[in-house]
Amino acid sequence: MSLQAVPARYRVASRAAETCDTVTLVLEPVDEPIAPHRPGQFAMLYAFGSGEVPISISGEPGGPGLVYTIRSVGAVTRALCEADPGELIGVRGPYGTDWGVADAAGQDVIVVAGGIGLAPLRPALLAALAARSRYRRVTVLIGTRTPDDLVFAGELDAWREQGADVRVTVDRAAVGWRGHVGVVTQLIDRVNVDPAATLALVCGPEVMMRLTARSLLARGVSSGSVRISLERNMRCGIAECGHCQLGPLLLCRDGPVISYQRAAPLLSVKEL
Amino acid sequence: MNDAVPAPALAEHAFLRGMPADDVARLARAAVAVRLPAGHRLFDEGTPAKKCWLVTSGHVALDLNMPGRANLIIETLGRGDVLGFSWLSPPHQWQFGAEAVESTEAFELDGATVMALCDSHPELGYQLALRFLAAAVRRLQATRIRLLDLYAAPSQSAEAR
Amino acid sequence: MDGPTWADGPLLMEAAALAPLLDALRRSGYRVIGPTVSDGAIILGELGSAEDLPFGWGVSLEPGGYRIRRRDDSAAFGHSAGPQSWKQFLHPPREKVWSARRTAGGFEVEDAAEPAPRLAFLGVRPCDLRAIEIQDQVLGRGQHAGSRYAARRAGVFIVAVNCTEPGATCFCASMGTGPQAGPGYDLALTEMVTGDAHRFLIDVGSAAGADVLASVPTRPADAATGEGARSAVAAAADRMGRSMPADILHDLMAGSHGAVRWDDVASRCLTCGNCTMACPTCFCTTVEDVTDLSGDHAERWQLWDSCFDPDFSHLHAGPVRSSSRSRYRQWLTHKLGTWHDQFGSSGCVGCGRCIVWCPVGIDLTEEVAALQAEARQTAQAPPDETPQAETGSEPS
Repeated sequence: MSLQAVPARYRVASRAAETCDTVTLVLEPVDEPIAPHRPGQFAMLYAFGSGEVPISISGEPGGPGLVYTIRSVGAVTRALCEADPGELIGVRGPYGTDWGVADAAGQDVIVVAGGIGLAPLRPALLAALAARSRYRRVTVLIGTRTPDDLVFAGELDAWREQGADVRVTVDRAAVGWRGHVGVVTQLIDRVNVDPAATLALVCGPEVMMRLTARSLLARGVSSGSVRISLERNMRCGIAECGHCQLGPLLLCRDGPVISYQRAAPLLSVKEL
Repeated sequence: MNDAVPAPALAEHAFLRGMPADDVARLARAAVAVRLPAGHRLFDEGTPAKKCWLVTSGHVALDLNMPGRANLIIETLGRGDVLGFSWLSPPHQWQFGAEAVESTEAFELDGATVMALCDSHPELGYQLALRFLAAAVRRLQATRIRLLDLYAAPSQSAEAR
Repeated sequence: MDGPTWADGPLLMEAAALAPLLDALRRSGYRVIGPTVSDGAIILGELGSAEDLPFGWGVSLEPGGYRIRRRDDSAAFGHSAGPQSWKQFLHPPREKVWSARRTAGGFEVEDAAEPAPRLAFLGVRPCDLRAIEIQDQVLGRGQHAGSRYAARRAGVFIVAVNCTEPGATCFCASMGTGPQAGPGYDLALTEMVTGDAHRFLIDVGSAAGADVLASVPTRPADAATGEGARSAVAAAADRMGRSMPADILHDLMAGSHGAVRWDDVASRCLTCGNCTMACPTCFCTTVEDVTDLSGDHAERWQLWDSCFDPDFSHLHAGPVRSSSRSRYRQWLTHKLGTWHDQFGSSGCVGCGRCIVWCPVGIDLTEEVAALQAEARQTAQAPPDETPQAETGSEPS
């Protein structure tokens, strides 16, 4: 099983703005399609002449097209966010480890998302909702900056209808917001948790993931039952450039999804 | 409709976890169980602060009235939280407003009664003081995290070069 | 020795047979790369003839110091720790990965793979032979079996040279990589110079090696000469100037994140990255996407990179490893420690280049000894007295 040497070309089938700086692209293959993503995996997306960035899959596994939700933060992501339907984008992947939500069969699933971190979690949530009877409670806790920064805002009610308890909190409310205001860890304090039978999937800024993991551990969830998605500088995505190291881990190969049990001692070392 | 609170029910609240049963029993004398309908205003900014609440279900929003940004919510509290610190110290005035966002149940504690109980039973005062301090610290830490603006894009955040 | 053999025992050839050896390699289609003197150093370059080898040249080595010097004898391979290693040929400092051009419908991508040149490496020291094997593991096996590295590597003919004279900064013996060459060579030579006699004992390591020797004057080695060569190599193992406690390095590195010693080395380290350039196993690269002025033609290039570069670990607002302390620690703990976790072996072969080519003479064997001493002291001291590193200690 050898790696693809060059990006596979995909055409932008649609582009939807999620927030003022985030878009969701749906891509359809022009060249031979890549292998299907598992939830949590990522691909290196190429904008012609600009470069590549690692982006996690954000769409339904097995759904039509490849779906990526991209925040415009630099030259390459800006180019990707500005790609019109019909334009070509290069894709190398899928790479990395997956959320493994199926491991929670018969148990509670708690999904905790911070900001754009909801995007890599969405495929795992959709997979769980598609097989809803396999799981006990499905809880989704979303922290976001302001109500305007909430991604996939239009889908939350559908998730609730499919049997998820979805709660959103904002760091800063806007006029007219009547939902929760506060950090997402405060929501954890208020949900029912069965520590012995819970799988928690957490994604967001690293500080948010550390604090969330601590809150979950304080509720009795074991660190092996908390999975986070880590990020480090990535250049190749295929474990040969050395950039994405975190101690013994190569995040493009041993991550990005890692159990908190494995990650905690590494995250506690400054500048590791 | 306000009911007296049996001590065992009070003891189950997260805020009082670990408090000796005798102190919980004393505190129960200051407590009534309340159900606040959605939209009920518990207090307004600037009014005298004489009570606090231990929320058992539902959710309460702390808000601030600003010109052009009426009743902006600055924090929401829910099950397990304590609502109301301003009754503890001068000027005994609410700094924010509070409103039940949805139907909310809580144990309402009368400030004057609690203080009288603490004067005659300092151990109760000590137990409550530790818990109020812990709740305030948690609130402070959460606020500091919100100030970090973790979800901001690099260009939005204070770290932008 | 178990396994297939391609000769009934070691062979012997005179130094003069080096010329026919090079000819045989070139007739087989190889470009021969080997050591040669240039610009005051013994570098690796394409050899036009056997005379390009550095006969009679040796080196004086010390931390932060390298000088070539005239030897008393005419040995061709009496030197070590040159500024380069064989990785520049197998894992080039710059190479084009792919190119793309704009089309009416979007763009087209072309793999840049070029036919791999057939190279013969003449003079691979056992440490460097192990280094090639280590890079094979990282870049050429498993999911990388179809890589450009693997294609270049498949065509390489290796003539190893066993060591009888350790360089002053060598420590291959304690790292288990020398002074005797391990498996992976087509031919392995042991140079013997006594008075006017200048000969090579040859071990044949592959069918390709045997084929090349077919047109080179050799004779079976007599027992005494064979014994003499073997003992000279074995004796070299006892004459190393440095050593490392190889079997405890992984755990020592894993436990040393908070060590005070890192601050000490950070006060000396310039983070120049010379060590990573000279090291035969360092493999990190970066990519550069460039377009021409018209914007219609784009290329992706892969370049050597170094973990000492501040941008190496850039994430969002800045580098994760900002301090020189953290970058030196990353390099050493990866090389000696986490390399085991990632690739199943040590990343260090004991060649000593990093010691020689460090402008301030940092010696990793000395750093390891200091870390080991600090670890022992920490283990014995009561918890309150544990020295705290300047930038904060890890939670206990």
